[in-house]
Amino acid sequence: MSATTLAPRHFDHPERLDALLKGYQLLSGAPDELIGSDGLPRPHWLRFFGGLTNLTAEEIERRFNVSDQHIRDSGVSHRISTDPEADALPSERAWPLSHVPLVLPESEWRAIEAGVIQRAELLEALLADIYGPGRLFTDGLLPPAVVTGSAEFLRPMHGVKAPGGRYLQLYAADLGRGPDGRWWVLGDRTQAPSGAGYALENRVALSRAFSELYRDMNVERLAPFFQSMRAGLASMAQRMEPRICLLTPGAMSETYFEHTYLARYLGLLLVEGADLVMRDGLIHIRTIEGLKRADVIMRRIDADFADPLELNAASHLGVPGLMEAVRAGSVVIANALGSGVLEANALLSFIPHLSRTLIGEDLAIPNIAPWWCGQAKERALVMDRVEDLAIAGAFGGGVPGFATSGAVLGASLSPADKDRLRRTIEERGVDLVGQEVVRLSTTPTWDEGRLTPRPFVMRVFAAATEHGWRVMPGGFCRISDRLDARAVSMREGAQSADVWILADKPVEPMTLLPTADKVRIRRFTGTLPSRAADNMFWLGRYLERVEATLRIIRCLAAQLIEAGATRDLDTRAPQKLADLLFAWGALPEKRSYVASANLAARALHSDTDYGSAFCLVRAARHAASVVRERLSPDTWQILNLLQARVEDDADVLLSEAEILDRARRALQVTSALSGLVQENMNRVAGWRFLDVGRRIERAVNTCRYVRQFTTDDSPSGDLDALLDLADCQITYRQRYFVGLAVAPIRDLVVLDPHNPRSVAFQVERLSEHLDMLPPLQGDGMPEAQRRLVSLLAAEMGAAEAVTLDHTTILAFEQRLLSLSDAVGARYFLQGPHAARAGKIMGLA
Amino acid sequence: MIYDVTHVTAYEYGSPITFARCALRLTPQTGAGQVVLSAEVATEPPAATRSERICFFGNRVTMMTFDTPHTEARFIAKARVDVRRPPLPMALPDETLDRVREEAIANHGLSPTSPAHFLFPSHRAPDYPPATSYVRESFPPERAALDGALDLIGRIRRDFKYDPDATKVSTPLSEAFEGRHGVCQDFAHVMISGLRGLGVPAAYVSGYIRTIPPSGRPRLEGADATHAWVNVWCGQRVGWVGLDPTNAIPADDDHIVLATGRDYSDASPVDGIIFGSREQDVDVSVDVIPVG
Repeated sequence: MSATTLAPRHFDHPERLDALLKGYQLLSGAPDELIGSDGLPRPHWLRFFGGLTNLTAEEIERRFNVSDQHIRDSGVSHRISTDPEADALPSERAWPLSHVPLVLPESEWRAIEAGVIQRAELLEALLADIYGPGRLFTDGLLPPAVVTGSAEFLRPMHGVKAPGGRYLQLYAADLGRGPDGRWWVLGDRTQAPSGAGYALENRVALSRAFSELYRDMNVERLAPFFQSMRAGLASMAQRMEPRICLLTPGAMSETYFEHTYLARYLGLLLVEGADLVMRDGLIHIRTIEGLKRADVIMRRIDADFADPLELNAASHLGVPGLMEAVRAGSVVIANALGSGVLEANALLSFIPHLSRTLIGEDLAIPNIAPWWCGQAKERALVMDRVEDLAIAGAFGGGVPGFATSGAVLGASLSPADKDRLRRTIEERGVDLVGQEVVRLSTTPTWDEGRLTPRPFVMRVFAAATEHGWRVMPGGFCRISDRLDARAVSMREGAQSADVWILADKPVEPMTLLPTADKVRIRRFTGTLPSRAADNMFWLGRYLERVEATLRIIRCLAAQLIEAGATRDLDTRAPQKLADLLFAWGALPEKRSYVASANLAARALHSDTDYGSAFCLVRAARHAASVVRERLSPDTWQILNLLQARVEDDADVLLSEAEILDRARRALQVTSALSGLVQENMNRVAGWRFLDVGRRIERAVNTCRYVRQFTTDDSPSGDLDALLDLADCQITYRQRYFVGLAVAPIRDLVVLDPHNPRSVAFQVERLSEHLDMLPPLQGDGMPEAQRRLVSLLAAEMGAAEAVTLDHTTILAFEQRLLSLSDAVGARYFLQGPHAARAGKIMGLA
Repeated sequence: MIYDVTHVTAYEYGSPITFARCALRLTPQTGAGQVVLSAEVATEPPAATRSERICFFGNRVTMMTFDTPHTEARFIAKARVDVRRPPLPMALPDETLDRVREEAIANHGLSPTSPAHFLFPSHRAPDYPPATSYVRESFPPERAALDGALDLIGRIRRDFKYDPDATKVSTPLSEAFEGRHGVCQDFAHVMISGLRGLGVPAAYVSGYIRTIPPSGRPRLEGADATHAWVNVWCGQRVGWVGLDPTNAIPADDDHIVLATGRDYSDASPVDGIIFGSREQDVDVSVDVIPVG
C-alpha cells in the first residue's frame, strides 16, 4: 500500500495517514468498516482519517482529552445494576466514549433508514394484531406461545385501542454487519428504547473536540430528529400544549442520566411513579399547585411495573389505576403498554413471513432468525447441533437452570451440563432459542495512538411523527471488548461510539430553532412536581448546612491556632464550637473530648458521621441527582468539585493550619455555588424552594449560634466566634468602634433586616418566596405556611436587642421549624392526603 | 347442588385511610359446570365510584374507589350458585406427558382458555427447579398425564402439612415448598410451578369449598373458607381438569369457582391500593350453605 493509492484525495499529511492505516491489523473472519474486501480503505473513512491526520499526534491526543473532559464535566454516567428496586445504590460509571466515530456514507445510510422505517411499520401492524383481532394466531401464522411467553404480553391491554391510535412512538433496531457484508437486524427495542440521549451526548462531546473536522465532513445533524420526536409526542395528545412527562424508575436506574438529559433537552417533565396519581379516569401529576393533568407519558419503566393494581403487584414504580386511564383513553403512553412483547428472541424467526402477510413486502434488512425450540422441527435441529450453537432464553433472561444471564455456548459445557441442557430443551423448549454464533464486522477504535478493530452493534432510532417515521441520522454504537458482539451491553469493558453519517452535500447547520411565529411566548416553564420541590428544598437545606459546618470547622481551626500561639486559656470558644459540631451529628457520640485538630478533621472528612461536611455534601448531591434535569451542568460540576474538596485524601494527621486551609477552600466552592444559584438560576418555583430551604436552614443555625455564644458575660472569644460564624466581622467593626458587646451583636445577627446573614433578613426572603408560590385554593385565604411566616416577621419586627433573651430566640427557632413542616405538608408528597400507597390483599 | 355463599372480608387499619382503589373478584361466573343464579357485592363504607369489567381471563372484576376517611372496611359478597360438575371418567384418558406437551404448543389461538397462557412462569408461580423435580417423580415415561396428575395431588396432600400459620398471602413459593407446609394457595402454586416446569399447562382457580362438619356436630357459622386449586390441561381431547391438591380430590360439586388465572395475582378475591395507613388486620369469613 502506498500513500498514493491510499489517498485518492489530497491530504496535507499523507505520510501520517499511511502510518496510521498500516498499523491497523484486521481480525480474520470478520469484515471491517474501514478496510474493504479489496484491502483498501473506504473513501468515506479516508475523509475522516485524512482530516484527523491534519493534526499532529499530540494535537489529536489533546482533542481526545477535550472530549473526555466534556464527558467528565457533564457527568454522563450510567449505573451498573439490573434491579430497579434494589436497595443499594449501584455504582455510577463514567461514560466510556470511543474517540473514533463509526463513519457511514449517505448512500448506505438511506438504505438503512428505509429498512428501519419499514420494520417500524411492520412491528406497529404486528402489535395492532396481537392486541386486536389476533388474525395471525387464528390463521396459524404465529404460535400463541411466542407471544404468551413474554412477561411483556399484557393481557389487560387486549382489546384496548392504544390512545392516539399508535402503539410505537419510539423504536430502535440493533444492527450488525454480517460476514456477507450485509446489515442484519439483531434485535428490536420496542419497550422503551434507551441510548438516543447518550448518542446525543456522544455527539456533543466529539463534535466539540473536532469542530472543524465535524463541520467540513458534512456530518448529518441530530437535533432535527429530536425536534420531530417531541412534536410527534405532542401530536398524540387531546389538548393543545399538552403536558408531556418522562416517567423514570428513579435515580437507581441504569440509564437515569439519560432520563434527566432527555427530559431537559426535550423539555419534558421528569416524573417518578409516586408523582403521578389516577383520579376520575385521568392521570395527574402531583405538583405544588395541586393535581395537574398529564397528557402524554413517555415511559422508561417496563410496562409490567406500570400499574401495581392490574399488572405486577410487587411494583413500587408504577401508578395504581394507570391501566384504567389507558382503557379510558385519557392518557397516551409512549410506547403503549405491552409493546415490549416484540422484543422476544422467539419472535425473530417469524418476522420475515409476517412481513409479507402484514405489509406485503419482503424485509429490506434481514434479521437473524434463531430457532425457537417450541417447535418440534426446530427443537430437533437444535438438539442435534447443541455443540455448535448458542442457546439463549426465548423471552430474554438466561437459560433456566444455568447461572449465566446470557446465552449458553453448547461447546463450552461439561458432558453432565450438556445432558441437563438437552433435558431443558426437551421439557422447556418453549423457553429457549438456539442460534448460530455470528461474526460481526469490526470498526476502528483508538488505542494509545494506534487503531484497533473491534466488533460493534449499532442501535438506530426511529420516532413516529404526524408525517410518518423519522430516523435519527446517526446512532448509538456499542463496541465490544470481546470478539463476539451480539449482546454488547454497556457494562464492563464496552465502549460507546458516535455514528457519523456523511452527507454528499453540505448540511444545514442547526435547525433546532422553530419558526418564530409558532412559538407562544411564556415566562414560566410549567408546574413543579411536588417531589422535585421537596428535593430542591432539601438541596437548599443541605448546602446551607454544609456551609455552616465548614464555617464552624474553619473557625475552630483558627481558634486552635490562636490559642496555641497566645496560650490563652480564657476562651472556651473552641469547646463550644466542638459542641455545636457534636449537636448536629458531625462528630460521634459525645465523650469528654477536648477540642482539637483531630476533631475538626473528623467533622470535615468523616464518612460515618451524618453531620460531617463530607456526609452533608453527599446528601446534597443525592438530592441534586434526583432533580438533575433542573440544574445546569455548571451547578452539577461545582457540586462535584465541592465533593472533591471535602473528600479525605490524606492518610496523615492534619495540622490546624491544613484544616483551616481545606475548610477555606471548600467554602470558596460553596460561595461559587451560591453565586451560581443567585445569578444564573431562573426565578421559577424550583429556585424558590431551593432558596426557602437555604433560608430556613440559615435562620435556624444563626439562632443556634446566638444561643450558644451569647450570655450577658460572654468572653470576647465567644463573641468573636459568633461574628465569624455569622460572617459579620467587618459589618460589626465598621458600625461599632467600641469592642465586642452582646446587645449590638444580637441586633446585628438576629434583628437587623439589612444584614444578609441575619435571621430577620432570612424571614423577609421567606415571606417573599411564600407570597410568590401558587396557592392551592382560589379563595384568597392565607395558607398555614403563609400565616406562620407573617407571625414570625411581626414578632421579629417588634423585638428589641436589649431584651432579646434565649427564650425568645428559641421560640423563633421553633417557629422556623414549624414553618419548615408547614411548607413540607403543603407542597411535598408527605402531606396527610398523599401518604404513600400500601397494598391490601385478601386471604386465599 | 345449589349453594348460598356469603363471603365477608373485613379490614381494620392502624390509621384512617383517606383514599382506596380496589379490584374485587368476588362475583362467580356461569360456566365450567356451574350456573350463577344471583350475585351481589356490598361494601361498608359505600364506594365513591364503582364499575364492572370482565378481565382477560373472563373473571368479573368490580373496581371501586373510596374517598371518605375510614379505619374499617367490609366487603360483603353473596351469591347463589348451582354446581353440577361431571365426574372424571372411570377410564382415564391415556395421553402421555409428551403428547400433552406437544399439543399444548400447537396453535389454539389466544382465547382466555388457550393453554398457551398457562405454560410459562408467572409472578407468583415462577420457574422453580426443585418443584419441577418434585413433580417429575409423578410422571414416569409412558404414564398417562392425568394419571400422573392424580398421583401428584395425592403426594402433595401426604407430603405437605396444612398450616395456616406457616405462610402468608405474600410468602414466596420456595419458602412453602422448602417447609413442605402452607395453605391451599401455596399447594396450588407449587403444583402449577412444577407442572409448567415439565411443559404442562396449569391454571390457578380461586373459589370456595363446602366443608362437611364432623358427623353429629352442627355446622359452625363462618367455618368454610376461600379455597384454591388447579386446572390442569390434559391434552386437546380432554382439555382442562380441575384438581384439588389440598384435599387430593378432583374438583367436584363441592367446589365453587370464583376466578381463574395464571396464579393468585390474577384471581385474588380482594386487591387494592390504600393511602394513609401501613397497618392492617384482615378477617375473612365464608359460609357455603347447601340449599338444595
